[in-house]
Amino acid sequence: MKNKLWLATGTIGLGFVLGACAGESGSDSSSDSGDATQISFMHWRGEDKAVLDDIIADFEEANPDIRVEQNIYPSDQYQATAQRMLQEGSTGDVFTSFPGAQFESIESAGFFEDLSGEEFVSNFDESLISVGQKDGTQFALPYQLVFNMPVYNKGMFDELGLEVPKSWTEFQEMADTLLENDITPIAFPGADIGPNQFMNSMMMNNAPDEEVFAKLQNGEESLTNEWWVKTLEDFKLLADKGYIQDDALGTNQDSAMAMVANEEAAMLATGSYHMNSLLSLNPDLELDLLAPITVEESEATYEGINTATFMLAVNSNSEKKDQAKAFIDYLSQPEVASKYANETGQHLTVNDVEYESEALQNTSYWIDERNTRFQPRFLITNAQIEDAVLSSIENVLGGEDPMAAAEAAQQIVEENRE
Amino acid sequence: MKISKSIYWFFLPGLVLYSLFFLYPTFSALFYSFTDWDGLSTAFQFVGIDNYTRAFTGDSIFQKTIGNNLKFMLTVVVFQTLVALAFALIVIKNTKTNVFLRALYFFPTILSSVSVAFIWAFIYDPSMGILNQVLQLVGLDFLAQNWLGNANIAIYSLAITQIWFHAGQMLIIFVAGLQAIPEELYEVAKIEGASKWQAFRSVTWPLLAPSATIVVAYTTIQSFKAFDLVFAMTGGGPNNSTEIIATYIYDVAFKSYQFGYASSISVIFMVIIALITYLQFKALRSDRVSY
Repeated sequence: MKNKLWLATGTIGLGFVLGACAGESGSDSSSDSGDATQISFMHWRGEDKAVLDDIIADFEEANPDIRVEQNIYPSDQYQATAQRMLQEGSTGDVFTSFPGAQFESIESAGFFEDLSGEEFVSNFDESLISVGQKDGTQFALPYQLVFNMPVYNKGMFDELGLEVPKSWTEFQEMADTLLENDITPIAFPGADIGPNQFMNSMMMNNAPDEEVFAKLQNGEESLTNEWWVKTLEDFKLLADKGYIQDDALGTNQDSAMAMVANEEAAMLATGSYHMNSLLSLNPDLELDLLAPITVEESEATYEGINTATFMLAVNSNSEKKDQAKAFIDYLSQPEVASKYANETGQHLTVNDVEYESEALQNTSYWIDERNTRFQPRFLITNAQIEDAVLSSIENVLGGEDPMAAAEAAQQIVEENRE
Repeated sequence: MKISKSIYWFFLPGLVLYSLFFLYPTFSALFYSFTDWDGLSTAFQFVGIDNYTRAFTGDSIFQKTIGNNLKFMLTVVVFQTLVALAFALIVIKNTKTNVFLRALYFFPTILSSVSVAFIWAFIYDPSMGILNQVLQLVGLDFLAQNWLGNANIAIYSLAITQIWFHAGQMLIIFVAGLQAIPEELYEVAKIEGASKWQAFRSVTWPLLAPSATIVVAYTTIQSFKAFDLVFAMTGGGPNNSTEIIATYIYDVAFKSYQFGYASSISVIFMVIIALITYLQFKALRSDRVSY
């Protein structure tokens, strides 16, 4: 009797364990909820959750048979785990992708639904969505247009009588004036996103060839060539002359933002996506964008960096593709896009968006009046080569000679070339 | 005593879980380490020992991670063990104050590693961080550092955080070990005229060897697996100076989509941990306690 009782208890226990496992694997975040079909919208913009909640509520009112659930992951985690979740198919009926390495790997895994023939594609600016194409097929539609170049305190520049520099010589003169006024020219968040953001504008005119990183990956270019060694020398100059703050490699983006918000520094070496945060820290700031021109004025090809990102896509493994497309269609309507743009402080790739905030209006001239270049870093499709490139910047800021840092990075490039 | 056969059924849940979450992934990693699987596609090819050859001869970052891991492990094992032992000797008696102090020292252990990472990243911040500010306040400006931004010291800064995080856990193991030593042995030592140091060397330390073995082995494994702390505090930078094997496996698998290669590094990682743990057990000879 006693043995049977034990056996029964053990069996029930095992049943609980197996039942729990079965329950876990059977859970589905994009299931049918009541009469409505629930779709999952997977992305990394936690800071946009509130405005997207509002937009989703309006969408659900207009489409009572569809429910949208946001699945948000931090961008680091998103880059690492999105593919796995897309493969399974239950999360991310609509999802977003970064351009570059992530777009390439999702495309090669076949998780993008072809959006080429969809009517809503025409709602986007044709010149800004090519980054979501592969071999002529539109797999993803970039939604945000980000300028990955320093944000500067325009009010401070005006007060000090400073003009936006048009050459490397002028840039250094401008930085010297700021230093004379006890202002750090550039707040550089070297502990996190600084190197991967600032490298773009620092190299854009040193290597105007947009294929330079593709060539690096296939062996036609080397980091020990002049374009990259000069970029590293320019970084070294910034550090040596005190144009970026001391201990920059230990400074994270929050500390760097605080420096600019407190007007201890004139520029934040990140991008336009931080303008809203800076204004929330100090509403009196007047901001604009400024990329360092690292060559003489006559040799400059580009004035800044753009990235069409937050690329909207439909998961090819989804069973609710029509509903997913309906949601993207809704997001691409000018009035919906305008609401998103104004409440998140982002420029968008959607046509006819009306920017209401002063910061967005003041910087929207960068969209069509300035010659910007697509973010070069996103054209490095091998993550280990990207790490090598970024490490060489950290190495130089840590005191290494630019050529030695370039050689060390080139060795890693050669080890990882495909 | 006769044991009913039905009792073996009780092994089943544990065995199922162990097989599912340990044996299966382990053998899968071994299998995939001989392939070029990208982690996403269903197709892959067998590449023999190419991944292992690459790890040892063609991947300078992996070789650097081994060095970083050894620096981190040695710092943590030596100092965490010493700190835990010293504090355990202080709080060994069961007074109210000591019980409170033990709980206080144990407190960091119950925090989540990401919280610990954020707290310490703030402490180490070169401009706003409390550590440099305190050093400047007490006139020790020359000791103020770029704790996480200087490639030469960042790994040791992480080690200090790891020690703060886990020393309390080891302290509890040492306290349990110390309290198990018979009081009579100290009385005999005293009668024989042994000094405190001699009593520690001849009585405490030999009898504490089983606890020390556990502490050292556990600390070693823990320091090899300090993924979350490193990932959240430095992400392996600057210039890969804090990249350890665990974070590198993550990068290779989830950023570069080279699961086959990442699996081979995981297998090497497992062998390194097993080897070091075995050598420690041999060196500490915990089973040979003699009076």
